Amino acid sequence: MGDFWRGLLKGAVGPRDNDSRFLLDVHARDLPGEATMRRYRDDDEVDLVIVGAGAGGSVLAQRLARRGWTIVLLEAGPFWHPDEDWVSDEAGSHSLYWTQPRIIGGADPVELGKNNSGRGVGGSMVHYAGYTPRFHPSDFSTYRDDGVGADWPIGYEDLRPHYERVERELPVAGQDWPWGYPHRYPFSPHPVSGAAAKLREGALRCGIEMRVGPVGIVNGTFGNRPHCIYRGYCLQGCKVNAKASPFVTHLPDALAHGVEIRANSMALSVEIDATGRARGVVYADEASGPHRLQRGRSVAVAGYSIETPRLLLASTSRRHPHGLGNNTDQVGRYVMVQGATQAAGRWPEEMRMYKAPPPEISSEQFYETDPARGFARGFSIQTVSPLPIGWAEHVLADGHWGPALREYMRDYNHWATVGVLNELLPHPDNRVTLADEIDPYGQPVARMDYTLGENDKANMVHSTKVITEILDAGGAQDVLTIRRFAHLIGGARMGASPEHSVVDANQRVWGVPNVFVADGSVCPTQGAANPALTIMALASRLAQRMADGSALAGDPPHAPDTSTRSPTASGSPSRATSSPTSPGGSSLTAATS
Amino acid sequence: MADTDEPDPRHGEHLPRLRPGRQPPPPSWLPRQRRGTTPQMIGRYPDFDVLDAADAWDDATRRVVMARLEPSGPLRFFTPAEEPTLRAFCDTALAQDADPRVPVAEMVDAKLAAGRLDGYRYADMPDDRDTWRLALRGLDHTADQGYRTGFAGCTAEQREAIVGEFAAGRLVGDALDELDVARAWSVVMRAVLSEFYSHPWAWNEIGFGGPAYPRGFLRLGGPGREGPGVREPFESPGAFADDPVRRRTDG
Repeated sequence: MGDFWRGLLKGAVGPRDNDSRFLLDVHARDLPGEATMRRYRDDDEVDLVIVGAGAGGSVLAQRLARRGWTIVLLEAGPFWHPDEDWVSDEAGSHSLYWTQPRIIGGADPVELGKNNSGRGVGGSMVHYAGYTPRFHPSDFSTYRDDGVGADWPIGYEDLRPHYERVERELPVAGQDWPWGYPHRYPFSPHPVSGAAAKLREGALRCGIEMRVGPVGIVNGTFGNRPHCIYRGYCLQGCKVNAKASPFVTHLPDALAHGVEIRANSMALSVEIDATGRARGVVYADEASGPHRLQRGRSVAVAGYSIETPRLLLASTSRRHPHGLGNNTDQVGRYVMVQGATQAAGRWPEEMRMYKAPPPEISSEQFYETDPARGFARGFSIQTVSPLPIGWAEHVLADGHWGPALREYMRDYNHWATVGVLNELLPHPDNRVTLADEIDPYGQPVARMDYTLGENDKANMVHSTKVITEILDAGGAQDVLTIRRFAHLIGGARMGASPEHSVVDANQRVWGVPNVFVADGSVCPTQGAANPALTIMALASRLAQRMADGSALAGDPPHAPDTSTRSPTASGSPSRATSSPTSPGGSSLTAATS
Repeated sequence: MADTDEPDPRHGEHLPRLRPGRQPPPPSWLPRQRRGTTPQMIGRYPDFDVLDAADAWDDATRRVVMARLEPSGPLRFFTPAEEPTLRAFCDTALAQDADPRVPVAEMVDAKLAAGRLDGYRYADMPDDRDTWRLALRGLDHTADQGYRTGFAGCTAEQREAIVGEFAAGRLVGDALDELDVARAWSVVMRAVLSEFYSHPWAWNEIGFGGPAYPRGFLRLGGPGREGPGVREPFESPGAFADDPVRRRTDG
């Protein structure tokens, strides 16, 4: 397809095998189909029980339901009715986060809660900012190339068709992307706000290229999903239906294909029978309520980097005395977060950064290793826009309180904020374990320990210097900085052998024939990209392999590595996997080449 | 006050980090609020009241925000003995030295009484609710050692000095000996700030547009025909916007 047609069709092409955008109601935000949802009895042996209705679990459910699988999706949190439950308010959005007790330790404890957790149908993507970058091809072989991190048992080419497919479903809006594997986006970039324009000006003066997007926010209309209204409350749940989350992108289609979403159901353990196969998932639908067992022929755990290890560790049996997949003490290890330092600059004119989506423009120019910097791997740069409470935490972190804090807060409209995402390296001692403390369900509370390595610290120091230079070059009069972390990933990583990983390349738990992990916890490395899109793409790939049976076979053959070639240079890159075609997978390469 | 004493915000002369002692000018340079309410009736947007737009908000949001304006009841979590210290701390930490005040003490109390916690606890720290109690005891203890009175009985300057010690992680006292004081500071300030800046009066003070659903924003101030000077029709400019003619002259 030439540029002319590509330009003309921008924003007009949607996915063929996901009708979510048409199923949504124009006048109400409720998930259509909730009232008529198919229900299963606990002793119905469904094809698949999925734990967690977030980015991973929802995509897996939608894909397999379309292939005729019977599925129950267990979700610990509530079934949202956004018109009543979600508000355009920071403090009022408390219920979107996982606020059950958790303990944080290590030398650099990572704050959880609103920062990186979600609870309820749709998961944490309900309140993620909206950035949806892909990982780079280099992320899959950091050990081989740079001697740090780990190598994935799969490559970029295994995920690429699923990246393209998910980008079309969200849909992702952004400029043509020059970094990593160069690619285009199905929707045009959003307009740039005054605050982001200021930051881009500064970046350009530093010789740093920034591009608009990529964000999973509708620019235009998409089926029954309207255009973004630029109100700035992405992190409080999108009441417009413009921002992508599984709640609007995959669950409507899943419900239309017979999936049951069982909300307020906390999974307690995966039950293993005498032959070593999973029989289903034990759960409770109220704290201290009776334990119920949903029978299933297979189980997929998609609870993310803390709840997935917690559930696996709690699933002890005679065969698995230390928890599922934990015979070699790998569950919960290699949990990662990204460094997410933010620096704000002050300008004389009013910028009102609360307008426009908080995610606007970003750069992946520093993503890969540069030996001149003195540390391995890199970081990306992204603009952000804290609302008042977020801004207060920013000012406090720079050491201000009382009159000084009030003064900086009154100056809110004059500030613009830019942040980094550092690729922090996986370490076995950064891990999730079970604490002695018990939660209201009677389950041991999760404890997450995190300590930065030397490479991590050097990365964070260097990247903070770069964004400070951007602000200086843009003419900022004053700069305030907050050091923080964002995102979670890892904890049940995939690998080539059970000694060093929890799941195989099919995301199947080592030693258990019918339990899969379908969330971000399988990632061995994290790149400097926000994880949402990759989690969805992994689930999409897993679904394809489960549907055609190849996920139950041995290790999948490694895809041919074409990732170093650009799509334009290579014409039509070869299909990624050698697995049998699925309707969705086969149409993708044709449409993008 | 003479005009020459007033900081020029166009040059950032009011910004604490750019001033000696990293302290802002006394708030007397700020205009009195003419429309709506702000904490202490000062702010940078004297003609802006975010509540003017309340009828354009969706029902769920309006309910949540308006509930913060309801008169608050008696404290449920903190004891009567702790109440004066709590109030004095909230006032000092937020520089609320006069009415009208955002009722932060009551808001924090309601949050703790309802057990609305943040979803994590440092391994070396007690539950946030216990941290609050220990922090208040630490404030009283420090005040008693330095000034022979409880924290609430100290002068404003003394209280600021004690809170400054707390912020620097140096607060001491029987209760705090086993506590990481810097983390306790972060726990209590997280709660105090998220309550204060959830209140519409504080939004008025800082000129925040507030909930904009379903209305949204059209003029993002970006490049092209727009630019930072172009505003939504319902926005009012800051008292010290680019145009010097708009500067306050009513002393």
